[in-house]
Amino acid sequence: MSLLSLDHLSKTFRTAGGPVHAVRDVSLEVKSGECLAIVGESGSGKTTLANMILGILAPSAGEIRFDGQALPARRTATERRRIQFVQQNPLSALNPKRSVGASIRLGLDTYRIGGRAERWPAVEAALEAVGLPGEMRHRAPAALSGGQRQRVGIARALAVEPQLIVLDEPTSALDVLVQARVLRLLDRLRRERGLTYVFITHDLAVVRNIADRIAVFRAGRLIELGETAALFNDPKTDYTRSLIGAVPVVDESELELRTRLAEGP
Amino acid sequence: MKRAIRILSRNPLSALGLGLVVLIVLAALLAPWIAPYPDHNGAVVDFLNNNKPPSARNWMGTDLVGRDIFSRILYAYQTSLVLAVVVLAIATPIGTVVGLIAGYLGGWTETILMRVVDVFLSIPPLVLALAMMGVLKPTLTNAMLAVTAMWWPWYARLVYSIARSEREEGYVLAAEVIGAGTTHIAFREILPNCLPAIITKMTLDMGFVIIIASSLSFLGLGVQPPTPDLGSMVAEGANYLPDSWWLTVFPGLAILIAVFGFNLLGDGLRDVLGVDR
Amino acid sequence: MSLLDIADLTLSFKGLSGLTEVLHGISLSIAPGEKVALVGESGSGKSVTARIVLGLLQEQKTARIGGTVRFAGQDLAALSPRDREGLRGTEISMIFQDPTSYLNPVFTIGRQFAEVLRRRDPGLARAACEARAIEMLAETAIPDPARVLGSYPFQLSGGMNQRVMIAMALANHPRLLIADEPGTALDVTVQAQTLKLMRQLVDLHETAVLFISHNLGVVREFADRVYVIYRGRIVEDGPTAAVFGDPRHAYTQALMAAVPRITGDGLPDVPEVSEAFLAPKVHHRLRSGRAT
Repeated sequence: MSLLSLDHLSKTFRTAGGPVHAVRDVSLEVKSGECLAIVGESGSGKTTLANMILGILAPSAGEIRFDGQALPARRTATERRRIQFVQQNPLSALNPKRSVGASIRLGLDTYRIGGRAERWPAVEAALEAVGLPGEMRHRAPAALSGGQRQRVGIARALAVEPQLIVLDEPTSALDVLVQARVLRLLDRLRRERGLTYVFITHDLAVVRNIADRIAVFRAGRLIELGETAALFNDPKTDYTRSLIGAVPVVDESELELRTRLAEGP
Repeated sequence: MKRAIRILSRNPLSALGLGLVVLIVLAALLAPWIAPYPDHNGAVVDFLNNNKPPSARNWMGTDLVGRDIFSRILYAYQTSLVLAVVVLAIATPIGTVVGLIAGYLGGWTETILMRVVDVFLSIPPLVLALAMMGVLKPTLTNAMLAVTAMWWPWYARLVYSIARSEREEGYVLAAEVIGAGTTHIAFREILPNCLPAIITKMTLDMGFVIIIASSLSFLGLGVQPPTPDLGSMVAEGANYLPDSWWLTVFPGLAILIAVFGFNLLGDGLRDVLGVDR
Repeated sequence: MSLLDIADLTLSFKGLSGLTEVLHGISLSIAPGEKVALVGESGSGKSVTARIVLGLLQEQKTARIGGTVRFAGQDLAALSPRDREGLRGTEISMIFQDPTSYLNPVFTIGRQFAEVLRRRDPGLARAACEARAIEMLAETAIPDPARVLGSYPFQLSGGMNQRVMIAMALANHPRLLIADEPGTALDVTVQAQTLKLMRQLVDLHETAVLFISHNLGVVREFADRVYVIYRGRIVEDGPTAAVFGDPRHAYTQALMAAVPRITGDGLPDVPEVSEAFLAPKVHHRLRSGRAT
């Protein structure tokens, strides 16, 4: 059952140097409860696509349907609430002048989730759900580590109980040990809460281990879509093959896979 | 707050600024008690002692009608500070709201509001104030009004430029995706990030407002006699230079100290509050 | 004899709340022509180590440096600030993470290249600079080097700017190249090409490299020897194959385990911090017959 469907979606930006086709005629279904990875290099259109899903950008052509309903360019509060996101840069994502708790509470206040008296406990529960102590709500973002800030970003998205979360390079600014913990957290939360993820990244090694399906983008076009294991074992396009071939690896077995792919079909 | 004072006092110049400002504020507040001749703030005449150089009796000499200049400077500080505080208390919120709305909303709102601001900024401040004072009666209230009219656009522009760059920050995007309202985002999310710069500018501007107000008085368009004012005192004395130098030098120094103090303090605050401009 | 010899290097910064020690006694050496990686997470002290070797921290008032850093037998601390500065860009050069922000946007590549060349040879004529620059750019497989010399950095792609930076860094035949997270800001395919190119060129010129990185995969493909740094201490060092094949320190093991594999072995369960990470250093001997 598909939760989100993109139907012939395009986005063109007008610039001084002529029109830029950031996303070209993309059709894609995101199934309820799956983690779909959107992979591409800079200029692939993956961020533009994410912004259209989130309603930050209006598509130039095509339609976005959520749960069977077409989403308008200007969304209502309820429509917004169902799709949340986690950003790449955890430092910029939190207001430096507000406490961590205030940032999480914003969504609860906006949608009047629970009574006023229940909201601070709810904020603390959201922090605990991402593995942070509840009392951390009093802290300023500057007093947190990168990994803690990213967990707060996740807690903020979860607090309004969305159905779909767009994860925009959620771990690429983190150290590898922190990344490992955050990825496990994201994976566990999805299973426990039946969430659907659109995971945007350039890091194929990460999506290999977290995504159910992978969509490869290049220059605004969807060029390959498949189940994760199938796509890695037998990529259909040379571009995907070259992307996998460029991943720096640490194991001999990885090197073997990479060499096999480099040799081609 | 404690941290702020510690950092301020670490830098000798900021400490000096803080010291001067505290001194001036205390002088203005305590004028009625510390002035040697408290009644000299009004229309007092003492022709036996007029135009006397500094002495043990009158530390800064006396003016043309025999009033103690030191006492009048203390009272003049009261006038200047009240004027500066009132001007900034009105100009800052107006400018902030205009800048915040223009910077966050963008589009047509931004174009219209910022064009208005540009028009105000393109007129030399003193000329604008002179024009206003030409139409209105030269009273203290009108002087404040004139200075306020030329002051708010600076705050609009400052806040606008910060709001515009903050608009691109991830936390603003996050609030928009969550679905928070425009008012919330502008005033609760963006405004707190503009405050350090606003506070710093206000401190720096205290000195400048005092100068502009003094200039207006110097031209006879500001505070009217017999109310003591630093600008008018300098103006009166200017005709008797260099013989009766104390008539101009002491009020002039008083202006200098006030402007200097507020500027040093403003620079120090800029460091404390982490404003890079 | 080693080209760079760092012995028991300590570094502390003086702040509002007293001294903070960042490096707790680091020892590291690089032989001429050897490619050595210093790998660690953010805040581990790897970048400040590079800045000390470049002589950039010695002048900073708040920095307290202990231990010795010898370059080609000379103690850097014994040199005058002027002589230390003279080493930069001639004997020791550097490649940064983001090439586009390192190059000056208002000057052409040609002009910036000439500036680099004149650091070693101040009287070098314009034509000679140009010829040398073209030769270096050609080595980095840049097509049409003459056109690139007339361009501004923003007219070139990130990968192209990175190549320009590599060419500039090697133009004066430095004996040591410091590469701080090179290519991290680039796309993976471009990054892979850049690293391959850099490896070829340093092998060709027999330049020693201190390679600073957080990316284990990149380090594995580039370096002959590896030092793993954690919180200002070296925790493990040895030949790349030995450290990757048989990591013995708990921190190195966690770091290796935490890297997601393209073979799809699942999301690893490793601790973010652990007492064991502070265990004493593990040193892998060079195996006989495999001397460097």
